[in-house]
Amino acid sequence: MSDQATRVLLIEDNPGDADLVRLRLVEGKSLVEVTCVDRLADGIASLDLHPPSVVLLDLNLPDSHGAETFRAVMAQAPGVPVVILSGQDDEALALKAVHQGVQDYLIKGDITSKQLERAMRYAVERQALLRSLEITRKQQLEFKNQFLSHVSHELRTPLTCIHQYVTILLDGLAGPMAPEQSDHLKTVLKSVNQLHAMIRDLLEATRAESGKIRVEPRCISIGELVQQAVTMMRPIAGERQVGLEIGLDNRIPLVHADPDRILEVLINLTDNAIKFTSTEGSVMVKACMVEADEDAVYVSVTDTGRGISPEAKALIFERLYQDPELIDNNRTGLGLGLFICRELVKLHGGKIWVASEPGQGSTFTFTLPVYSLAKLLSPVIVHEQQLREHIVLVKVELTPLSKSPRGNWREVWQQSLDTLRRCVYPDKDLVLPPVGGSAAAQTFFVVASTDLQRCGVMMARIRGQLERNEELLAGATLLISAVPVEFASPPAGTSLDKQVQTVSSRITEMIMSSMAAEPANAGNGRAASNFRKIQSNH
Amino acid sequence: MSKPKILIVDDDPDLRRALRLRLRANNYETVHAQDGYTAVAVARKEQPDLIVLDLGLPAGDGFVVLERLQNIDTMAGVPVVVLTARDPQNNEERALKSGAAAFFQKPVDNAELLDVIRASLTNSRTPGTHPS
Repeated sequence: MSDQATRVLLIEDNPGDADLVRLRLVEGKSLVEVTCVDRLADGIASLDLHPPSVVLLDLNLPDSHGAETFRAVMAQAPGVPVVILSGQDDEALALKAVHQGVQDYLIKGDITSKQLERAMRYAVERQALLRSLEITRKQQLEFKNQFLSHVSHELRTPLTCIHQYVTILLDGLAGPMAPEQSDHLKTVLKSVNQLHAMIRDLLEATRAESGKIRVEPRCISIGELVQQAVTMMRPIAGERQVGLEIGLDNRIPLVHADPDRILEVLINLTDNAIKFTSTEGSVMVKACMVEADEDAVYVSVTDTGRGISPEAKALIFERLYQDPELIDNNRTGLGLGLFICRELVKLHGGKIWVASEPGQGSTFTFTLPVYSLAKLLSPVIVHEQQLREHIVLVKVELTPLSKSPRGNWREVWQQSLDTLRRCVYPDKDLVLPPVGGSAAAQTFFVVASTDLQRCGVMMARIRGQLERNEELLAGATLLISAVPVEFASPPAGTSLDKQVQTVSSRITEMIMSSMAAEPANAGNGRAASNFRKIQSNH
Repeated sequence: MSKPKILIVDDDPDLRRALRLRLRANNYETVHAQDGYTAVAVARKEQPDLIVLDLGLPAGDGFVVLERLQNIDTMAGVPVVVLTARDPQNNEERALKSGAAAFFQKPVDNAELLDVIRASLTNSRTPGTHPS
């Protein structure tokens, strides 16, 4: 390390300051190689092309100010240490910067070359230490995951065998069974299924803990999901003679959620509710809006079961928790189901809780964010309490070459989405969430703000990254286009919220007309009609 | 009208036997293989109409088998249903991408497996190639 030049990327717009820092760096004993740029956009481009050992960063640049500057740099190159060289002695800002991972905050005027050199060297060392800690942590998690995955695999094999032979006997494939024998075997089968569910939960909980659960929110109808879950649970409810009803508010807006994951939560809660309700009781699955909260849809599962004690209520969502009163007579699992539900709801930005009185039944409720383009856009298109001047809608189209894409199309879709997300700046651009429950949509939209030039760089990156992945593009053609979002300047006194609404409606319109231009494509047709739905909810 | 022939590939003899019982009871003819190498050889010789394939196998795992099958002209279009204890999160996409028609994690619901087998057989049959 020591005989190699330290590559310094200096992002500083004041030529005098830049020269001074350069001088300080040259005065120092160690070998340095300095690249100097005067705009954030150029700095970001340089980070991408020649990753430096350390970034020296001025916060107030022509195209970025304050905290936004270091956030953009760190988002672009999370592994590279950043040392801020600021003209302002702002303790609060310095602390904020360090909290968010900046290695040091120095005041331009008062540093000697020795101090600067030391600050850089220590920054590099600290960053390396952080990296190795992170690697160790990941390795340990990985080890634990592999272990659990291995154990679950080994358990599944004999379990499958038991399952197969029990069902062979039960189905009479090995000769007729006496009713009593058949009854005993059904008990065996029930236990086998429980064991199976436990193995599944164990893996899922481990993933939740290690952050490996992926949630891919889309714009979906919660009513459809509730209906789907209830249809799936109806046989079990019938078997236990428990009533199962649906209560859907007819004006529920679309939500921003992953359909597979939320179905999992609904099934888990409904299954629990049925399990803890005695014959003749009933379970109600509801989705509604609450007057005090416009931003969320409330989904609840209510049962007329035995209820939950206050002590249990406090702990019920914790991992491995089981109600001590139930353990003896009602083997229910590992106590991971509600923990998994909570983690999944949290990943969606929602909350989950339970209301219950012993003997009076329980209601589990969770919230999901209402899908609102305006809300998603707001952090991107509003800057310092003002609408940004330039907003661009970038359209990325991936069209599969074959008429009937196989199972791998979903993967292409997922990878493309991941790639797009890597290419955008978190606080200036937004990859719009895909619409609908299908992974077949092949057109992605990115809303970008600020200058067209930066947007051009972003598009080039998207193209480059997607094209570099040959496997990804082998089965598809790629088209990237950009259109500026034109909107008339609002009359004086129009509230910011109103302006954001106007821009989002404009973007929705643009997406709709762009989709409508390709009537041949069924996937796009569906997406377009969903966009219409979003708009009518505004 | 001959019964459709299914090749069962699994290294666990008990499970092979169970699947054979289940499939024969549903009016299929079965042939068997206990490892990857044998699976490809039996496929070549017996020309099954469908293959139920485990992934964790000795002498060439399920992915190797999928790859080999793709190189056998007469096996093109013969559906492969993967039935494995392995985790779908790491294997499902890969299996489908390698040419499998469906992926099931063990233990599987028999009715579901039979449905998929029936559907895959119907889809794969183009007139002339599979007289049945």
